[in-house]
Amino acid sequence: MTGILIILMSSILVNNFVMVKFLGICPFLGVSKQVETAIGMGLAVTFVMAVASAATYIVQELILIPLGIEYMQTIAFILVIAALVQFVEMVIQKTSPTLYQALGVYLPLITTNCAVLGVAILNIESGYNLLETIFNGVGGALGFTLAIVLFAGIRERLELSSVPKALKGFPIALITAGLMSIAFLGFQGLL
Amino acid sequence: MKFGKIMMNGIFKENPTFRLLIGMCPTLAVTTAAINGLGMGLSTAAVLIGSNAVIALLKDVIPSKIRIPAFVVVIASFVTILGMLLKAYVPALDKSLGLFIPLIVVNCIILARAESFASKNGVISSIADGLGMGLGFTLALTILASIRELLGAGSIFAISIMGSAYEPAIIMILPPGAFLTLGLLLGLINKLTEKTQ
Amino acid sequence: MREIIKLAGILFAITAIAGVLLGLTNMATADKIEQQLIQENINARKAVLPQATEFKKVEDEELDSIVQKDFQMIEEIYEGINEGELIGYTFKTTPSGYGGQIVVNVGISLDGTVSGINIVSHTETPGLGAKATEESYQDQYKEKSIDSPLEVVKSTPSGENEIQAIAGATVTSNGVTDGVNIAIDLFNQYLK
Repeated sequence: MTGILIILMSSILVNNFVMVKFLGICPFLGVSKQVETAIGMGLAVTFVMAVASAATYIVQELILIPLGIEYMQTIAFILVIAALVQFVEMVIQKTSPTLYQALGVYLPLITTNCAVLGVAILNIESGYNLLETIFNGVGGALGFTLAIVLFAGIRERLELSSVPKALKGFPIALITAGLMSIAFLGFQGLL
Repeated sequence: MKFGKIMMNGIFKENPTFRLLIGMCPTLAVTTAAINGLGMGLSTAAVLIGSNAVIALLKDVIPSKIRIPAFVVVIASFVTILGMLLKAYVPALDKSLGLFIPLIVVNCIILARAESFASKNGVISSIADGLGMGLGFTLALTILASIRELLGAGSIFAISIMGSAYEPAIIMILPPGAFLTLGLLLGLINKLTEKTQ
Repeated sequence: MREIIKLAGILFAITAIAGVLLGLTNMATADKIEQQLIQENINARKAVLPQATEFKKVEDEELDSIVQKDFQMIEEIYEGINEGELIGYTFKTTPSGYGGQIVVNVGISLDGTVSGINIVSHTETPGLGAKATEESYQDQYKEKSIDSPLEVVKSTPSGENEIQAIAGATVTSNGVTDGVNIAIDLFNQYLK
C-alpha cells in the first residue's frame, strides 16, 4: 500500500510529468488558454493514460516477451495507443454524447501526446506490476492535469495584463511555466 | 537549386522550434548540455530524413484512410533502428537521452512533415525537407543547450568557458531553466525580426 | 467490409515489412549491445576494485537468502580475483538519495579497506547532488578502514572514518554512504 502511495506522490508532485519530466508539453502549451478546456484535456488524458498503461503492460507481458520481440516495443505501443484512443472515442460517442462533446476534440490529439507513450515505456523500465503500472499512469495523468489547470488559470489572467510586445503569446507562457516549474522544484526531496 | 531552397526553408524561415513551435518535449528536456542537444537534434534529423523519403516513396501505395497509422509504423521503425544503433555504438549518448529516443516517434515535427510535405512531394524534395527541418531542429537545440550549459555549468561542449571563478547558475540546467531560456530566446527573436520588418 | 479487409491487409503488410527489417537490425546489433553492457559492468567493477583482473558472481544460496532478508539494498556481489587468488568483493547497492534511487558500486578489499566506489546511475539534482559522481568526492572513500561504519560530516573531516558531505547535498551524501556502509556491514558479518 505504501508503495502505491509513493508512486502516486512521486508521479503527481515530485516528478511531475510536465514540470519536471517534460512529457506532454505540446498540449500543455497548446490547450491551456482557458481553465475549462484545460480540465477537459486533463480528464481525457487521465482516462487514456490509465487504460493505455494497463493495455501496453498486457501487450508487453503476453505478446512481446513470450515471442522474444521486445525490440518491437515502440511500434506495438504506439499502435496500441492509437487504436485505443480511436476505440475510446467511438465508445464515448455512442454511449455518452455529453461526455463526447466535452472530451471529443481532445481525443485525437492524445495519440501524439508523448506523456502517454512515455508512461507506458517508463512503467516497463521501472519493472512495475500491473497494479503499480495503472497507478503510475493515473498519477502521471493527474500530475499533468494539475499542471495544465494551474497554468491555464495563470494564463487567463495573463491575457488581461500588459506584456511587452515581443514576449506576447508563447514567450511569456514559457516564462510563466518556468516560474511554475521552480515552485514544483520545492517538492523535490519530499519522498 | 530547389533542393537548397527547400532545405534553407526548414533551417530558417520555418524553423521547427523557433518558428513553428513544435517538438517541444525533447527541446526542453534534453538541452541540459550542448552535446545532448546536438545528439538529439541529429537523431531526430536522421529519423526525419528516413521517414520522409520512405513516405514519399510509398505515398501512392498507402490508401488515405489508413495513412496516419501507416506513417506511424514507418516512423516507429526508423526510431527503433536508430535506438538499436545508438545502444550498440554510442551507448553514452543513448544513456543521456534515455526515454526521449523512443519518444522521437511522437515528436510532432516528424508526423507533421510526413503529413504536410512528404505525402505530397517527390522523394528528393522530401529528403531536402527532412534535411532542412532536421538541421533547423538541431541548430535550435544546440543553441538552447549551449546557453543553458554556459550559464548553468560554465562550459560549452564540456569545455570550460567561464573559468573556475564563475559560480554556475544551477537553475539553468534544472527544468525551470529550460522554460525560461526558450521563452526569453523566443522573445529576443520576436524583437529582432520585428525591427528588420 | 471488403474495403476494411483490404485496408487492414495493407497496414499489416507494412507492419510485417517493418517487423522483418527490425528483426534483421536486431540480429545485427544484439551481440554488440550485449557486449557493450557486459563491458560497462566490468568497467564499473574494475573502477572500484582495480587490482582484480577478473570478476566472478557470488552464487551462494545461503548468502542470497541472508541478503534478501537483511540487506535488501544489495543487488549483486562479485568476487574480485587476481591471478587465481581472491582479493576482494564488489557490491552493487541501491540506497535512496534526494531524487530517488542511487546505484552505487562499492569495492572492498580483503585487507580491510574500501578500495573504491562509483555511482552507476542516479537522479540527483544537477550541480548539487549530481556532484557525487565527481572523482574528488568518490576518492574520499578510498582506503577508508572498514572497522567502523563511515559517517558524513558537514565540516572538514577530522576522524578516520569521516566523509565530507557535498555542499548543499547532505541527503545525497548520506545516501551514497548508506550504500557503502551496508556493503561494509555485510562484508564484516559474512564474507570476512
